[in-house]
Amino acid sequence: MYRQKYIFLLPGLLVLIAVILFPLLFTIRVSFSSWDVYNPGLNNAGGAMYARMWEDARYWEALWRLSLLSVSTVLIQYVLGFALALLVWREIAARRFFRVLFLVPMMTTPVVMSVIWRTIFHESLGPLNPILNAIGIGAQPWLSQPGFAFAAVMIVEIWQWTPFMFLLLLAGLLSLPSEPYLAAKVDGAGPIRTFLSVTFPMMGAISVGAILIRAIEASKIMETVYVLTSGGPGTSTETVSYYIYIRGMRDFQIGYSAALSLTYLIIMAVALTLIAKALMRLMVRGANA
Amino acid sequence: MLSLSDLTLTESGVPHLAGISLAFRPGLTTLLGRTGAGKTTLLRAIAGLAQPTGQIRFNGEDWSRLAPWQRPVAMVTQQFINYPHLNVLDNLAFPLMRRGEAKAAARETARDMLGRVGLSQMASRRPSELSGGQQQRVAIARALVKGAPILLLDEPFVNLDYNLREGMREELSALLQASGTTVIYASTDPREALRMGDQVVLMAEGRALQSGAPRAVFAAPETLDAARVVNDPPVNLLGAAVSDTTLVLDHLGPAPRDLLPPLPPGRYTLALRAEDIRQGGSLMTRVALTEVSGSETVTHLDAGGQPLVMLERQVAEHALGSSLVVTPDFKAALIYGPDGRLIAKGGRNG
Repeated sequence: MYRQKYIFLLPGLLVLIAVILFPLLFTIRVSFSSWDVYNPGLNNAGGAMYARMWEDARYWEALWRLSLLSVSTVLIQYVLGFALALLVWREIAARRFFRVLFLVPMMTTPVVMSVIWRTIFHESLGPLNPILNAIGIGAQPWLSQPGFAFAAVMIVEIWQWTPFMFLLLLAGLLSLPSEPYLAAKVDGAGPIRTFLSVTFPMMGAISVGAILIRAIEASKIMETVYVLTSGGPGTSTETVSYYIYIRGMRDFQIGYSAALSLTYLIIMAVALTLIAKALMRLMVRGANA
Repeated sequence: MLSLSDLTLTESGVPHLAGISLAFRPGLTTLLGRTGAGKTTLLRAIAGLAQPTGQIRFNGEDWSRLAPWQRPVAMVTQQFINYPHLNVLDNLAFPLMRRGEAKAAARETARDMLGRVGLSQMASRRPSELSGGQQQRVAIARALVKGAPILLLDEPFVNLDYNLREGMREELSALLQASGTTVIYASTDPREALRMGDQVVLMAEGRALQSGAPRAVFAAPETLDAARVVNDPPVNLLGAAVSDTTLVLDHLGPAPRDLLPPLPPGRYTLALRAEDIRQGGSLMTRVALTEVSGSETVTHLDAGGQPLVMLERQVAEHALGSSLVVTPDFKAALIYGPDGRLIAKGGRNG
């Protein structure tokens, strides 16, 4: 009788195999071929693509750049999102208006917003440099100098995704019980101490969740880079996703891009697991000690 | 000494505190009143969690502008309030650390207190892993460990079962003995209030009706409102019209004039406690409801339109709707004038 349950599971398992397992296994197979525009098809190239990847400094640089970009933008998004959520958490005037206003960037299409930001950053035609000139800072080479271009990508990412962090953290704040705050007041904790000893630790679990979701998304940054800088100047803003896109879709090196993708998948899975464990220790268990 | 002067708090037109002036000395004072009487608001005002007008002074220092965290008070509420993200030991250490104690020293003091309340074994558990009684014991221990000169207890045992409540009440009294703390204990239960307090304050509708030693307050509630608050089961109120020669009780009819002491002609209200209505005699009533609680029976009677409540110190069976003959003990009656103030005690046996 209990075997019947497998019949009910079968449709789900078939979808899983078709949607996840087959593409993954196929990618593994492709990564061991040298499938490209000159040799289309599944030949057997052994580990040649992986050996090439090991020597490919551009890939590892992109990975390092992506790590830097992800960690810095997600951390800034967390701090800003938390600050904004705290701002509209309690009773303030026009609280509903601000809650909606803060969510607007998240609701816009990344590609469209990247185009708009590219216009804003445009060194001669955009509105940003005249403003900087007017306040005495002076015009900046936003998209033509590596450091500035990297900062531009960061700004757009932070602008676009801070609202997501804000939304999750505000939901977390609104779900907090009010009683510990009453206890903290009577126990002698002022507003800052209450935040550090009550709000922040109680937000540990949701903070970890929000950071991880954003870290997973940030590790796939693609549209912003594609539209804003196209990875340039040079390769200074090239991320892993964009580099894999260049190799796979522009150069049609299918076998090589499969090897890059798989390695990237494994590195991300390991890195995000380690980050999740560290965050759990730091923000959930550690904060409670 | 903690003194309150003309504390008033009105929200949305509803008076929560209506000009309360009281003084609290070290020892246990009970605030007794029904739900909505203003007990919790008064405790919150003392803790700084509500902002009434008027003045709160402690040993001469004006607290009116002090934030809650600057006031040397500890508070336990009827909900089991603890820090859900901290274990039991750190819950107790929290107020000590806020006071500036080092973590290790605070934990040591907290461990001592846990031993005193019998929770040493639970030190590493989270509050959510404890029973309701244990959670409240943690909250009480957290309040006590501060050693604050003022301890506010807002019906701390109301959500506990009877046995646990009795046990914890005794434990608390033992812990507080000779502590020199000013303890203010809010309760809706007259028996608890009269048993626990060195002093009792009767409250209703945001006002302090009467205060004093529990026995004195119970023996002579100064107003009808006070008589209502201090009695459980509810006090029997009988309207009476007195002239020089006659006495007519509302619903019950004429009665011998000498049932009551000499009084000027007028209308009066007689307050008779439930235990002062006894079986036997000549007053015919009908049983409207019988409540057996523990070893006591409270019977609600209808005497020709006059509701009466009778308390018997035994388990008694009175069939609903059956007739019952009772005697009001007018000797024990409290007599209130038209303004609701106590003017005389006792008549003669009816």
